[in-house]
Amino acid sequence: MLKRNQLILGNKTLADITEDICKPVETLPSKGWVALFLSAKTLLIFYVIILGIIIANGMGLLGVNHPNGWGTMIITFVFWIGIGHAGTLISAILFLFRQKWRTSVARTAEAMTVFAVMTAGLFPLLHTGRPWLDFWLFPYPNQRGPLWVNFRSPLLWDVFAVSTYATVSIVFWYIGLVPDFATIKDRAKNKFRRLAYGALSLGWRGTARNWSHYEMLYLILAGLSTPLVLSVHTIVSFDFAVASLPGWHTTIFPPYFVAGAIFSGFAMVVTLMTLVRIGIPQFKDYITIDHMEVMNKIIMATGLMVGYAYASEFFIAWYSGNQYERFVFINRAFGPYGWSYWIMVTCNVIIPQLFWFKALRRSIPVMFVVSIFVNIGMWFERYVITITSLHRDFLPSNWGQYAWSFFDSAVLLGSFGMFLTLFLLYLRLFPAVSIAEVKPVLHVGRKDLEPSSGGHH
Amino acid sequence: MQNNHHDHDHEESEEILAQKKAARPDIQRDNKYWANLEQYNNDPEFWKAAEAEFQSSPLRGEKEEGWARREFLKLMGASVAMASAGCIRRPVQKIVPYNKQPEEVVLGVANYYTSAFYDGLEPLSVLVKTKEGRPLKVEGHHEFPLSEGGTSARSQAALLSLYDPERIKGPRKNIFNEKRSNKDTIQIKWDDLDDQIVEQLKKGQVAVLTGSLPSPSTRSIIKEFCQAFGGQHYSWEPLNLSDVSVGQKLSYGEAAIPYYHFDEAKTIVSIDADFLGAWHTPVTNSRQFSKGRKNVDKMSRLITFDSNYSLTGANSDIRFKIKPSQQITVAMGLAYELIVKQGKSSYASNSLVKSTLENFSTAAADLGIDPAVFAEVANNLWDSRGESVVVAGGLPTMNGQQSSLQIAVNFLNAVLGNDGKTIDYKFDWSNSLSASWDGLLALIEKMQAGQVKTLVIHRTNPVYALPDSLGFQEALKKVDVIITTSDRMDEVAQHSHYVAPDNHIMENWGDIESTTGLLSIHQPTLRPLWDTRSFQLSLMTWAYLADRGPKRLLAYESYFDYLKNYWKEEIYPQAGKGKNFETFWQELLQNGYVGSAPQGAGSRSFKTEALNQVKKVAATDGYELVLYPTVQLADGSQSNIAILQELPDPVTKIVWDNYVSCSMATAEKLKCKEGDLVKITVGTRDMTLPLHIQPGLHDSVLAVAVGYGRTHAGSIANGVGQNAYQFANISKDSIQFSGQNVGITKLGKRVQLATTAGHHTMEGRQIVAEATIKDFKKDQAAGLHKHHIWSMWSGHQYNGNKWGLAVDLNSCTGCSACVIACQTENNVPAVGKAYVLQGREMHWIRIDRYYKGDMANAEAVFQPVMCQHCDNAPCETVCPVLATVHSDEGTNDMAYNRCVGTRYCSNNCPYKVRRFNWFNYRKEIPNPVHMSFNPDVTVRIRGVMEKCTFCIQRIRAARNTSKLEGRPLKDGDVKTACQTSCPTDALIFGDMNDPNSRVSKAFAEPRSYGLLEEWGAKPSVRYMTKIRNNDQESASKDGGAHAEA
Repeated sequence: MLKRNQLILGNKTLADITEDICKPVETLPSKGWVALFLSAKTLLIFYVIILGIIIANGMGLLGVNHPNGWGTMIITFVFWIGIGHAGTLISAILFLFRQKWRTSVARTAEAMTVFAVMTAGLFPLLHTGRPWLDFWLFPYPNQRGPLWVNFRSPLLWDVFAVSTYATVSIVFWYIGLVPDFATIKDRAKNKFRRLAYGALSLGWRGTARNWSHYEMLYLILAGLSTPLVLSVHTIVSFDFAVASLPGWHTTIFPPYFVAGAIFSGFAMVVTLMTLVRIGIPQFKDYITIDHMEVMNKIIMATGLMVGYAYASEFFIAWYSGNQYERFVFINRAFGPYGWSYWIMVTCNVIIPQLFWFKALRRSIPVMFVVSIFVNIGMWFERYVITITSLHRDFLPSNWGQYAWSFFDSAVLLGSFGMFLTLFLLYLRLFPAVSIAEVKPVLHVGRKDLEPSSGGHH
Repeated sequence: MQNNHHDHDHEESEEILAQKKAARPDIQRDNKYWANLEQYNNDPEFWKAAEAEFQSSPLRGEKEEGWARREFLKLMGASVAMASAGCIRRPVQKIVPYNKQPEEVVLGVANYYTSAFYDGLEPLSVLVKTKEGRPLKVEGHHEFPLSEGGTSARSQAALLSLYDPERIKGPRKNIFNEKRSNKDTIQIKWDDLDDQIVEQLKKGQVAVLTGSLPSPSTRSIIKEFCQAFGGQHYSWEPLNLSDVSVGQKLSYGEAAIPYYHFDEAKTIVSIDADFLGAWHTPVTNSRQFSKGRKNVDKMSRLITFDSNYSLTGANSDIRFKIKPSQQITVAMGLAYELIVKQGKSSYASNSLVKSTLENFSTAAADLGIDPAVFAEVANNLWDSRGESVVVAGGLPTMNGQQSSLQIAVNFLNAVLGNDGKTIDYKFDWSNSLSASWDGLLALIEKMQAGQVKTLVIHRTNPVYALPDSLGFQEALKKVDVIITTSDRMDEVAQHSHYVAPDNHIMENWGDIESTTGLLSIHQPTLRPLWDTRSFQLSLMTWAYLADRGPKRLLAYESYFDYLKNYWKEEIYPQAGKGKNFETFWQELLQNGYVGSAPQGAGSRSFKTEALNQVKKVAATDGYELVLYPTVQLADGSQSNIAILQELPDPVTKIVWDNYVSCSMATAEKLKCKEGDLVKITVGTRDMTLPLHIQPGLHDSVLAVAVGYGRTHAGSIANGVGQNAYQFANISKDSIQFSGQNVGITKLGKRVQLATTAGHHTMEGRQIVAEATIKDFKKDQAAGLHKHHIWSMWSGHQYNGNKWGLAVDLNSCTGCSACVIACQTENNVPAVGKAYVLQGREMHWIRIDRYYKGDMANAEAVFQPVMCQHCDNAPCETVCPVLATVHSDEGTNDMAYNRCVGTRYCSNNCPYKVRRFNWFNYRKEIPNPVHMSFNPDVTVRIRGVMEKCTFCIQRIRAARNTSKLEGRPLKDGDVKTACQTSCPTDALIFGDMNDPNSRVSKAFAEPRSYGLLEEWGAKPSVRYMTKIRNNDQESASKDGGAHAEA
């Protein structure tokens, strides 16, 4: 059996861990954080204004048109939903598989999931023509007959999938936070902190009984979340796959979307973790190069899966003998939007191949750049799927280009403002590494796990 | 349907009328009360101040000329339709109070009145649908013998010129300075205007300039008015037919604009006559032409020689591209082929004819056409002699040699024995299309000589449609007083002293003489919206006030009385057929017309000496200019209607602009791409326009549409495109619109032309199925790849009606009347150029145009596409809120109120016929445009999807009627708006569950196919193969488009 390197570096004691992790929550923010937060918040305010203008005037402000009924909002929705997948995968699936390395990154990855789902969730609500009537998308008792929703529509499935996912991941994340909130409450030096974190910790006292219930609940929630990792993006892919449009109507979409989601999610985790390591230096001991390397391996593996999906789509288009299907794929790669296809292939398939080299997948600057490229590539993947399929379909007289406008750029950029604001607040207010989960994976008192060359004194 | 529901009391006997008239008080036309000395003296300054008294906002001022986007948005609503029952206006002769409901007016039930449309190209008898006294829709008049229910896009849009917010609301006076260089108008009262004008008229030397006047009673009023004031009547408009009538005179001694029996012709050769598009009477021609092609086995053959890619060219079986200087060569070359080369016809022995024709012995080579093919055209004509027709005319033939061309064409028809058979000179359009160049040129001469003191201009716009080089505007300055009847402050009104606005045709009584002996009457459909007065009444009033002129002119107080009396005296004696006049009049109002369709006339003898003037036009190097009117705007008089501006040109599919069309080879030579700005120069005049690459154009031709570049038509039309009339060369000796040598230079800038067609070829897909006649005769399903379609599901069951629509692609000419009909029926907005560029046009029915073959000789096909009302509708399954659902009658319904606007339905629609309300278009609709909205159709809010409903409101209305009459719906009860507007009867709507309905029979034809049938959506719309009557024959069994796939 392969022996792992130490999961936590720096020969920490239990007290060190508590101290390290609570420090960002208990000290004044650094100048770097303030600068980042102010920028992110400005972007968020800009985003709110832009969304307000769009709601006031209509979807016509964006580039959506005939034949491109969906555009930036749906593309960016799928992008953010995909990002969310890594968190649940790390926290739930890896938990069930007893992958101990997950403990250091799980909390932040889950936070990312929650924020990404929140960011994503706004889009399908706002991209409708009359967003003030979005509640019609939910089945609720009403006096119109009652008029029910259309259970055959993938968009409705989407409503359920995304709302379930959001609920379960928030609960799962929160439950994991409870013991740590109690720790912060106990360390609190003023009444307000004690009160706030006391309330958040739901009366956690750390008794054996508490722990026993907690472990059981955590396991159940992990079990509940696990199928969601697969189902959410499967259902999101149904939005496309169940439609009859060539380029959308394909059976490969569910696994392809899930692989892509994990791919993009891990890339985003890597992006954020490299930044967290810079911003909070003591976390370098918890989120080690080893952690990053594991995630990079997953990026490479899922990148290959995505690449395989791209290739197999082309093969099936050719093999089907369907002229519309064939045309869409040829047009996708060589039509007016060919550039976006090649950006996607470059970023998602070619660039992650760098991780074949150990030195590169352990290099922070390299992985940061690669993860950014993967993020870009995965946004373009959704762009390619949505736009290149819609813009040239059956009747050539309908063909047209997407009318990209200022508002498309603003919405895309603004969504990062929302995500980053939430994420930065999280780093300051919540313990970004799970104190309760990290402690058990320490080497303290476990000679069998100590590496021979460990600097243990 | 066309019952006359006017509750006129004109059944009363003449005596009672006379008594009533005697009892009427005298009309007070003077200013009895005055407020101060200025008013008493009628000081113009006073009126100006009085007008501005209550409009004190500092923001008020000269309107901006440019097109601010907001302003545009505000006014683009001018072409949208919406419901509100607020305004109830009824014609002045028949006010019906609702406290006691009149028998024939039921709230919510439409009444139809016979009315008319006339725009210089065609006098058209139509019905106007009104509800509660508000005109809502123009419908074809099915009994009218010429158009037989057909309409044009322009006639459908006429409703919106009635509700145009930029019409002037009352008479106006222009306060000119010495040089008449300023534009300063004030309101004036009718009484004051009348007084001032009468004073002026009394000075004599009056001229009346009008467009073609198809109204015999109006002509009579003008005649009597001219008698009264020693005046003279001139008739001119830009698209007049003097070339045809002069040609007839030179060839046969008698001027005429003959009626062409396109329905009876087996072979039709058109030399630049766009008779299906924007030459004269296109609706009548389209109707008759389509009749000759309904029976595919015996369908006629249309061969065109086209300088521009005209709509007629696009519909031809065989199309040759030429340039204007080659038109005579075509006609004479065909004659040479028949007479000299093949020795056919009795003219073969005529040495004069032969010697003239010798000049054209190399015609085929000159034209660049394979001599064998050219000979085949001649043989086609000869084989169907007596049953063929050769036509030429229109702006593209106005190359200075148009008389020669007309003589050549008349000669060819004479050789073929068509004269008096397919060409009916006795059934003559001359009265209705009387405008000519002679009249105008004579008037200008008189004006320049200072012999015109007063000029009355009615329904013609020489200031806009004449080139400045002709000096009309300078000549106007030599006229003391100019009076115009413009409905807006247009180009003419800017130069006029008085604007005495005429009523809209729908506010007015009137009559129309189409061809000789076929007269129709039109009734007002509402009381004038504004303080306007009919042109006829204006003339009558002025004559009355001056107390001059024949008794008849002075005896009546309204134009209606004059009209009725005129009919009694002039028309009733011949057309009355022994009926009592009141009965005759009632029947006339109900039927809308008297007279009958043409029967044919004997042949005339052609004056061969006329051929002496027919000379070969010297070949030029350089580019030749072709000016042409478009189907959507024609002469440009209706250009302030946004839905017409947004109606895609049937061939180029470009909206909101004119442009220079050139061939691909020419563009490559100039190193230009689509949309590149170019400067074109004719003599000293130049113009900057975007370039459009038009497949199938002659390499030496640059074509530009007229009708654009209005400067004072209103905020919608102003500044759209450039005024290409400026390129015309008009002089006494030659009228030249086309064939001028034109230079072109690339400017290095590029603009985007807004087009509604994304792509121009079918990419080898079976979209428009097409077969040649030879293939069709072997296999009626030729050109169709029938897909094997199966389903695991038995499908919906329809127990009552199941609605379906058949579209005969062999009849559809792409004229686009249906597009506008649908817009006015269903309150569909125009969105403006900027949004068309973003792909947001709202048309519920669109006409797809595809090219076939190589760039240089592309053939075109047209395909109307509307919601296909699929049985397995892809849109229905994906809507999360059930806003689009299937009805038990097979229609795919939209519940606008339920729609949240996810647009998933549009994405999943293979036909992409759904339209989304990207903005709240209805908010931008100015008063009184909302009056034009169809109250039966919801006006959609922002954020909802909309699409063709199969005119569900018409289905409901027909069902209500049948229920009240206690009978089931029968075939033909329901007609969709597109169907009723179609001049070629290409659209057939009906019940697919009724095996005897027209639509079921059409669906059963072997030619019928579903669009994207293999996709399994089971559309309720089926198309029928287009058949091209050429000599080609495909070798493969499958044939058609699918073979390439």
